[in-house]
Amino acid sequence: MATTTDPDTGPSTDADANAGDPTAEFRKNQSWLFDTTAGTYLRKIVVGFVSTVSLLYLLFPLYWMVVTALKSTQEIQQIPPTVFPENPSLEGFRLVIESSLETGGYAGVVENVFGVTISSAINVDVIGIILNSLKVSIGAGVIAVVLGTIASYVLSRREFRGKNALMSVLLASLMFPGTAIMVPEWELINTLDLYDTHLSLILIYGAMTSPFVVWLMKGFFDEFPDSIIEASRIDQCSSVETFWYVIVPMARNSLIASFIFAFLLAWNELVFALTLLDNQNYTVPPGLLTFVQGFNTQWNVVAAASIIVSLPVLLGLAYIQRYFVQGLTGGAIKG
Amino acid sequence: MSYADQTRSAYGNVIDRIPESIRVYLPIVPVMVLVGVFILYPIAQAVYSSFFSKSLLSPDEGEFVGLANYQEIWTNPDLHQVLWNTFVWVSVGSIAAIGFGFVLGWLLYEKFPYTSVASAIVLIPWVLPRVVGASIWQFMFGGDQGIINELLVQLGIVDDYIVMLGSGELSLWPPIIGMIWRLAPLFALLTLTSLQGIDEHLYEAARMDGATPWERFRYITLPMMRYNLAIGFLLMLIYNIRNFSMVWVMTEGGPGVSSSTLPVMIYRTAFVDFNVGLASALSVLLFVVLLVFSYYYIKVYDKLQGEF
Repeated sequence: MATTTDPDTGPSTDADANAGDPTAEFRKNQSWLFDTTAGTYLRKIVVGFVSTVSLLYLLFPLYWMVVTALKSTQEIQQIPPTVFPENPSLEGFRLVIESSLETGGYAGVVENVFGVTISSAINVDVIGIILNSLKVSIGAGVIAVVLGTIASYVLSRREFRGKNALMSVLLASLMFPGTAIMVPEWELINTLDLYDTHLSLILIYGAMTSPFVVWLMKGFFDEFPDSIIEASRIDQCSSVETFWYVIVPMARNSLIASFIFAFLLAWNELVFALTLLDNQNYTVPPGLLTFVQGFNTQWNVVAAASIIVSLPVLLGLAYIQRYFVQGLTGGAIKG
Repeated sequence: MSYADQTRSAYGNVIDRIPESIRVYLPIVPVMVLVGVFILYPIAQAVYSSFFSKSLLSPDEGEFVGLANYQEIWTNPDLHQVLWNTFVWVSVGSIAAIGFGFVLGWLLYEKFPYTSVASAIVLIPWVLPRVVGASIWQFMFGGDQGIINELLVQLGIVDDYIVMLGSGELSLWPPIIGMIWRLAPLFALLTLTSLQGIDEHLYEAARMDGATPWERFRYITLPMMRYNLAIGFLLMLIYNIRNFSMVWVMTEGGPGVSSSTLPVMIYRTAFVDFNVGLASALSVLLFVVLLVFSYYYIKVYDKLQGEF
């Protein structure tokens, strides 16, 4: 019975590669899809197809926005639309800036200084709505970060009655804002005599984002070493001094991330801005909406304005990406 | 008395003299006041207003009508259409966003180089201002120059450009497609994060024991990710049912109510028809659903915290 069959002459290329590995037999994937050449090809084709379609679905709209902004007004009206712009032009951006200079009342200044006469048919003050949004977003961000951080410190380091209930109320309050409370919020803001003020939005956005900040910062404080606080106490810091001079500087990154979260929410929020402000005080979302609805034959201008107002968001994203999942789920999911 | 205690009492300020049991609540008061006034109180206000018939133009002159607003929801066929739209929107939108998001997250984990850069790019649809994302889709679905019409013609699905946003039968779907585009990146990132959290050694061990790829997915990946997926699923439901901007920018809920969901209908009832009572009753309906979702969200959340 002295046969000399080679155990490694099976059809699997995988087995050949692992000839020296005693566990090779166990490592085989044990399915047609993974262990045969045809299966491997099928797998590669399916994965390639799915990836391509997913990426197109995800990225094409973004590409389309950029390309549309770079087309001239004539090219926008072509049927069928051109996938690559034939004559790239910055006309859209120019019209946005001209219209906002004119609507903002700077046309005279520009004419005196540069000798260029501006007359624009579009009257939306993009720079004006950006300034309004900056005011609201920074205000809301500061309120949320300051109040949220103070609260989260205590919620993290002390035990007291009702703590879990409080945390649950804060988490649940993240779920409601926006559409579910726009009508009573309108009534409330009118009762407080704050209708058409940016203060109303600052307070509401502050209330919407501070629970976020509480959860995010609580995650930070939970991991903060006790020994540092002990040391500062031995150096005779009061609890307020410890918080301000020792902990806040060390929490800098988390604080910046919290601020950016609150800022972005305020920058993007449509419902309250639309219902609680009048046209001339509009922030970016409702301002852009009037732009979209009023000039939707001039899509290059709309796309250019969209890109301009999206820039702060993209810059913010680059910074907070690391914190994104924690912020979204209140720190529930850690990588 | 230690030296530190002596000095501290010498510096002791007003705050330090308040009894410890009360002092501990002080830092929480500002946040709770803000959240209480601007988020929790309005919920109560909506419940109260839903029993009145009042106009947005004169909100102080409400007339008590009992459950008449709720009866209106029960009998009005337009509102039935809206509730059905909302159901379709939330179920189709969430399931598709989860499926697509899971695939994207897996691709990010398994196939794409430079994971952090790639995931930042994938996230762009989610962080773009809501109105910007919605207006891109409005342009793409638009009747005259829309690229999607051109694509459908090229693929041979339709013969000529069709009206999508202005058509009673089709107008519900374009905003859903836009919403999936916005939400899937979020689910992809949750998937990526939880895939990264799974210990490689588990797969190695299972492979040694001869588990097939499907078995590895079914008995390791899924169980390890179950709470994360549950949180992602609930977030998808919540974001979908709350969504206003995608519909409002693309179709304004029209034509008629063919593409209106609950939030859009609340806006239209209150700020176009000025019927605050009915809008409040619709808001209460939305709370109840959100409250159920939030309850499960918090429950899953607690489970997840217990694991770490």
